[in-house]
Amino acid sequence: MLFHTWTFLIFFPIVFLGYLAFKKTSLRVPWLLAASYVFYGSWNPFYLLLIIYSTALDYWVVAWMEACGSSKSAHSSSRRWASLLQWRSPVRSLRVAAWIGRVGLLLSLGLGLMGPAGSQAVACLLGVLSLTMMFAASMQSRKAWLGVSMINNLSFLLYFKYADFFIENANQLFVRLGFNIQWPEAATLMPFGWEYLLPVGISFYTFQSMSYTLDFYFGKLPREKKFLNFATYVAFFPQLVAGPIERAASLLPQFEKAPRIRIKDITDGASLFLIGLFKKLALANYLSYYVERVYGMPDEFGGAALALATLAFAWQIYFDFSGYTDMARGIALMMGYKLMLNFNRPYLATSLGDFWSRWHISLSTWFRDYVYIPLGGNRHGAKKAYLYLGITFLLSAIWHGAAWTFIIWGLLHAVGTMATRELESQAWYHDRVPIALKRLFVFLFVSFAWIFFRAETVSDAWLIVSRIAGSAWTDPAMPLLMVGLIVLMWAYQWLQETRFRIWTEAAWFKVMGAVFMLIWLCFFSSSGGAFIYFQF
Amino acid sequence: MKQEISKPSQSQRGSVRKSQKALPHAFLLSVPQWIGVLAVFLALVLFLPTAWEAWESFDPELNYRVPYETSQDYWQYERHLKQRTQENDIFFVGDSVVWGEYVTADATWSAFLNEQAAGEYQFVNLALNGLYPLALEGLVRHYGSDLRHGKVMLHCNLLWMSSPSADLSQSKEQVFNHPTLVPQFRVSIPSYRATLDTRLGRAIGHQWSFLAWVRHLQIQYWEQKDPYAWTLADNGKYPPAYPNSYTMPWSVVDGRLISEPDMDPDRGMQSTRHKPWSDEGVGTQRFDWVPLDDSLQWQAFQRLCQVLQDRGNDLIVVLGPFNQHIMTVDNRAKFKAIENEVKQWLESRSIVYSAPKLLNSSLYGDASHPLTQGYRQLAESLWNDLDFKAWLSR
Repeated sequence: MLFHTWTFLIFFPIVFLGYLAFKKTSLRVPWLLAASYVFYGSWNPFYLLLIIYSTALDYWVVAWMEACGSSKSAHSSSRRWASLLQWRSPVRSLRVAAWIGRVGLLLSLGLGLMGPAGSQAVACLLGVLSLTMMFAASMQSRKAWLGVSMINNLSFLLYFKYADFFIENANQLFVRLGFNIQWPEAATLMPFGWEYLLPVGISFYTFQSMSYTLDFYFGKLPREKKFLNFATYVAFFPQLVAGPIERAASLLPQFEKAPRIRIKDITDGASLFLIGLFKKLALANYLSYYVERVYGMPDEFGGAALALATLAFAWQIYFDFSGYTDMARGIALMMGYKLMLNFNRPYLATSLGDFWSRWHISLSTWFRDYVYIPLGGNRHGAKKAYLYLGITFLLSAIWHGAAWTFIIWGLLHAVGTMATRELESQAWYHDRVPIALKRLFVFLFVSFAWIFFRAETVSDAWLIVSRIAGSAWTDPAMPLLMVGLIVLMWAYQWLQETRFRIWTEAAWFKVMGAVFMLIWLCFFSSSGGAFIYFQF
Repeated sequence: MKQEISKPSQSQRGSVRKSQKALPHAFLLSVPQWIGVLAVFLALVLFLPTAWEAWESFDPELNYRVPYETSQDYWQYERHLKQRTQENDIFFVGDSVVWGEYVTADATWSAFLNEQAAGEYQFVNLALNGLYPLALEGLVRHYGSDLRHGKVMLHCNLLWMSSPSADLSQSKEQVFNHPTLVPQFRVSIPSYRATLDTRLGRAIGHQWSFLAWVRHLQIQYWEQKDPYAWTLADNGKYPPAYPNSYTMPWSVVDGRLISEPDMDPDRGMQSTRHKPWSDEGVGTQRFDWVPLDDSLQWQAFQRLCQVLQDRGNDLIVVLGPFNQHIMTVDNRAKFKAIENEVKQWLESRSIVYSAPKLLNSSLYGDASHPLTQGYRQLAESLWNDLDFKAWLSR
């Protein structure tokens, strides 16, 4: 179910009215959770099993982690080792966990030895997970429980998103090294003949769930005792499939008690929804047609068309993703929930670092807080900071998908960020280069990097780059209307960062703008497909 | 090592608050502003199509029919209907048999009836190409409200019950004309596999005439595309050219409606398609008739009669004449049985009907569509039919 479909426009009023009816009762959170599961299950009901399992495991992992914490002072290290040898724990809830681990281990053995073909991988994972659980329970180790959560979450991500990439590359390597080994495709590892499909939004809710476990582990957050609240936090339908990736510290407390819904929340939410709808239907979808035409057959188009399609893609992905986020934030706001800002006019950034503080903010702050800073951040000098930055960008690139194109895209951004950081530290650059020029440079650099993000393969990307640079610039046939819209949107964004912003805040401007958007949507909205970021 | 469990850190709370406060859009509207937006939008939605009718000239001739290229322009269909509500107007509603598949607009069944009537009555061709009872029902329900209380001739074409495929009752998915007009939720049509969202969109689209008007513009000016797709359209050749890239969509909106071509290569006496069915070398066929009780098309036809009766229309059903020459001899008995069942049902509902006689084989272009001379004979035979005369004059 997509936000810009008629189905959602029927679904949401029902959910909203039900929500208002249950708002002051104990059914408020269950209602939201049910709505979220219906929303998510509409793609594929089997996805629900995955999200429910993942939610339950992280919920209990944190509970068991808490049990370890409370028992630490009571039990010495030697007693814990003794417990490990006996495979039992002195804490009751951990004994339950250990038993679950034992049952899991038995199941994994059974599945591995007697299960259907293809179930061995699942059995193997279950075995590792069960053993880690038994170890964590016996040792009362918070770190081991964190490991259980990480193994579980990352193995799902690895399997559904990256398995094919690794298997394909490994098989190529085996051939080159002369080994007579070929690993089977990831799809053949699905148990019971289930279809191998990437669950929509898996990267988003997995990261959201992991942030809860990590925050608890690092002592930044108390445990959420209500399972339904936690499950709703993981599956909250406005941001479930494409973010923003919310932090438990921000969203979980909002489920604690019924939020006050002011009229302003509803009008602001409706405004955000309208803007998002316009961005998606009237802008992103239109640009996508041109991009698909050119990027679909890059060898048939000249440099001008490829360059313009690249710029068009830069705007397409922005309108597509920020449009989704606007709608998500608008829907949540109408119900009284505040989601974090995810985009803040990124193409007006003056450096790459600035760009990442404006683009997909929820993801970049996630990587900053859980990867870059724990690695060492800026604390160990510039050289190490750049190394950590490179690692962070690499992981961020891999988060988007398993392909060399994403990796190159991430590394380009890493290099760009380091370069602009260095440049900004130079007085001549910082003080003398006009902001407009910096913005143009950043936009062009980001657009160049998008080539690798959008191209199907690395060779396609190289072909595009080489044709932009070397082929004849024939008529690009980019619609004039499209060019006009891009210029208009750029001008509007630019206006927002100047003192002329006040013009756009005038009541008549807003009313006419909203009417224009509604009428335009009726005329020009094309029936576009899913959002780009759903694939992540 | 004791682990401290703490509340969210200061910096975390700070960043959350900051992100919640930061709204990059200036476009957050207040209540009065939203009221203003809705008022202006509603005014435009109501006013624009009406103003358009005044601006875009449309003065249909007596034998006007909605051109083939604009068959899905239901707003134009409704507009035609609105302009033809004089006292002596007789509305002839039906599928391509009434519309005139192989003939020009002045050689249709209604055109020859106009010749016979010589101004006493005006027979209005209210058919669309590509219709069938399931779609016809939708057309009349959603775009035919101006038919209310008028005299309506409804054509019944048994072709639609001649096979599960034509009846849309086979389970295999089919692509067919006018999918927006078929019942989206009320009736289960096995051959129709649209998604829930498509069905909802189609159902909602019929309730909002503004969207039908937008579709009218798309059909009349932008080659049946939305304006975005129109600016991107290629010329269908290889290597492709993109003729509309540097044209703004609104610059081609000149108020001139698509009309029937002067020399239609597909229709009229000079057309290569205008020839008896047997000239194609097609032999007789065996139709896999669908029993009426199971036929979706027949049920739709029954509902359509009910809708027209409920709206106070003075209704006559014109039955066939189906080209029985095309059938194998043993197949005709089944056809006759079905035809009789239809007649019995019409009589049971006190619906007047007329069943013109079978034409000569050479006057049919296929199983159900007559050629020019066939329409002339049908019009003459109907005009001389006493029941029809009685219905006309009542």
